[in-house]
Amino acid sequence: MPTSRQNTRSCILLLLPMVFSLCAGLFAQTAETSASTSTSGVRAMHVLGLEGVKRNLRGTLSVQPGGLDFMAGGAHGTVAVSSIEDVFTAQDSHQVGGKVLTVAKMGVPYGGGRALSLFTHEKVDSLTVEYRDATGGLHGVLFTMPMGQAEGLKKQLVDAGAHASIPVASPSEKPDAGGTKQ
Amino acid sequence: MKPNRTFPVRLARMVWPALLLCTLKLGPATRGFAQEKAGTTTSPWAIQVEPVQADEGQLPPDFAMAIYEDLIAQLTKTEKFQQVFRSGDHEADGVPNLLVLHMTLQNFERGNQTKRAVTTVAGATKVQVHLKVTTRDGNAVVDKDVQGTVRIFGENLKATFALAGSIAATLRDASLPAPSKGAGQ
Repeated sequence: MPTSRQNTRSCILLLLPMVFSLCAGLFAQTAETSASTSTSGVRAMHVLGLEGVKRNLRGTLSVQPGGLDFMAGGAHGTVAVSSIEDVFTAQDSHQVGGKVLTVAKMGVPYGGGRALSLFTHEKVDSLTVEYRDATGGLHGVLFTMPMGQAEGLKKQLVDAGAHASIPVASPSEKPDAGGTKQ
Repeated sequence: MKPNRTFPVRLARMVWPALLLCTLKLGPATRGFAQEKAGTTTSPWAIQVEPVQADEGQLPPDFAMAIYEDLIAQLTKTEKFQQVFRSGDHEADGVPNLLVLHMTLQNFERGNQTKRAVTTVAGATKVQVHLKVTTRDGNAVVDKDVQGTVRIFGENLKATFALAGSIAATLRDASLPAPSKGAGQ
């Protein structure tokens, strides 16, 4: 007959590999996305604002001659450079793993899940684009992407003719953590 | 003597927080949906949403845009208004019964998701705005402070979704006056 301690140990042994495999997968994905910066675009998540594209969809964000282009599976959204009124970048940090890992962490006994939260966060860049549609209506589009990529995209957009009230930071400058207007 | 708990019992004890989370998350959502369906009456007004006004450096642009976009989405979902116009939309110029929604930032506290996950009591993100809905001739129809907060679960931007939801609920429940002949002109 297994004792209480043995049961607890078996539970931990069951849950921990699951949590760590999730974390490992996520970190591997992050590393892969960081390495995939190229002219073909960056891996990004559409947070909100793009017409015809669902929220929190992961895809490829790139600057094309026509404008900012986001592609994710069958979904596709574009913002014309000529309609862009402003571009902002910022930094934030968030927990990785989404709801699945959140629930898994709650299942770890003795507050282990909370301790695990200390290691399951990552810093991300955000890119905010303000633009006007054909009737003059103001829109805002928000993307998040691995750290260090948003400023490059902003530079490409500005080079393509987009307006930005805050100039593009040089590589030596640290981007504004709050992304506030100056 | 200490009871000898079996493995399924121990597992069940660990799974209940997850079930509690699901209940907490689903409860308000379904309740809100039911209320929304039961109490929605379309008013004769259309509304134009202006972005949040804030002093420079007080509100990050991503939060400002998220509030604006979330609010437009949530207001459209309430079906309270004939049309929901974006700021600067020329099509709103010819609409007779138009309300204009202005928001002024009162308070913004950027929290930290990791701090929330670790402590569960610290690191909340809060956004508070002063909401003012006026007719074209400047009469205030709604004048109220509204707050959006993310306390335990979710990213910082979830506060903007909560704020937009509160504003949409405020407007949905508000009794709007009947448009007078000259009100919208």
